[in-house]
Amino acid sequence: MAGPVKGAGRVTQLALLTAIALTIFLVEAQIPALTAVPGVKLGLANIVTVYVMFVLGPTDALLVLSARVFLGAVFSGQPMTLIYSAAGGLLSWCVLCILKRLLTQRQIWLASPVAAVFHNIGQLLAAAAVLRSWGVMAYLPYLVIAAVMAGLFTGISAQALLERLNRIQK
Amino acid sequence: MRTKIILLLLASAVAASAALLLLRDRAISSPSARITRDGVLLEEIDLEQVMEPYSLLLQDERGSNTVLVEQGRIRISEADCPDQICVNQGYISDGTVPIVCLPHKLIIEIVGHKSGLDGGAG
Repeated sequence: MAGPVKGAGRVTQLALLTAIALTIFLVEAQIPALTAVPGVKLGLANIVTVYVMFVLGPTDALLVLSARVFLGAVFSGQPMTLIYSAAGGLLSWCVLCILKRLLTQRQIWLASPVAAVFHNIGQLLAAAAVLRSWGVMAYLPYLVIAAVMAGLFTGISAQALLERLNRIQK
Repeated sequence: MRTKIILLLLASAVAASAALLLLRDRAISSPSARITRDGVLLEEIDLEQVMEPYSLLLQDERGSNTVLVEQGRIRISEADCPDQICVNQGYISDGTVPIVCLPHKLIIEIVGHKSGLDGGAG
């Protein structure tokens, strides 16, 4: 599914991609936390987000992302996390929109860590707003380092995925 | 070219964060814990004056947290939230990171006066 389609095909394609992202998200949620710092995770579901952004475009990426974030919060049984995921997701989506104009499909691996950093910044801003305290910003340095590492990992995965899918299409 | 600029920005963000973590002044003399909910200060405890460990039950309509106060350190020992992040974090004793319970909008920070000696030596 490398390339935009229309009508029912598009709905099916986006639904499939959302299902894949949601599955990855829920499986990853079962892995115990890697560190004591809350918010540090691999974010494997974003392989799909980055892929959709670069192959199908911003609108489709926003659709898949928001459906995954909403359903992920519902299925994981923690609806309160919706605010933080939505804030992080929206900010990283905006950043990805800019990066898509600057970068080609060969540089997806680079877009992902930048988006990951802004995802965590968005989450912390939401947390600061909810708590009405800037104290949570103490986590920012940890989250930036973790986001760059996790983002590179998911970015390289998305890059490999894209190149293999392109080969199948030919 | 763009690749290099973005890589450079990422590398400097990581370097700045690492430097911030390494150079952060951990030494706090006379630490006290500030417990805040919804931005409102609930308790301020001078951790050096704590002789016997005691626990504190913080409750409101969102749920409850049990805070364990000891000399020089503090933790959340029980919470009725689903994620248990605050409980798993364990004790904190310096100003590095606060304990945060997002579902109950609770935050425990350690504040204090930085010791003058460390400032001079640093």
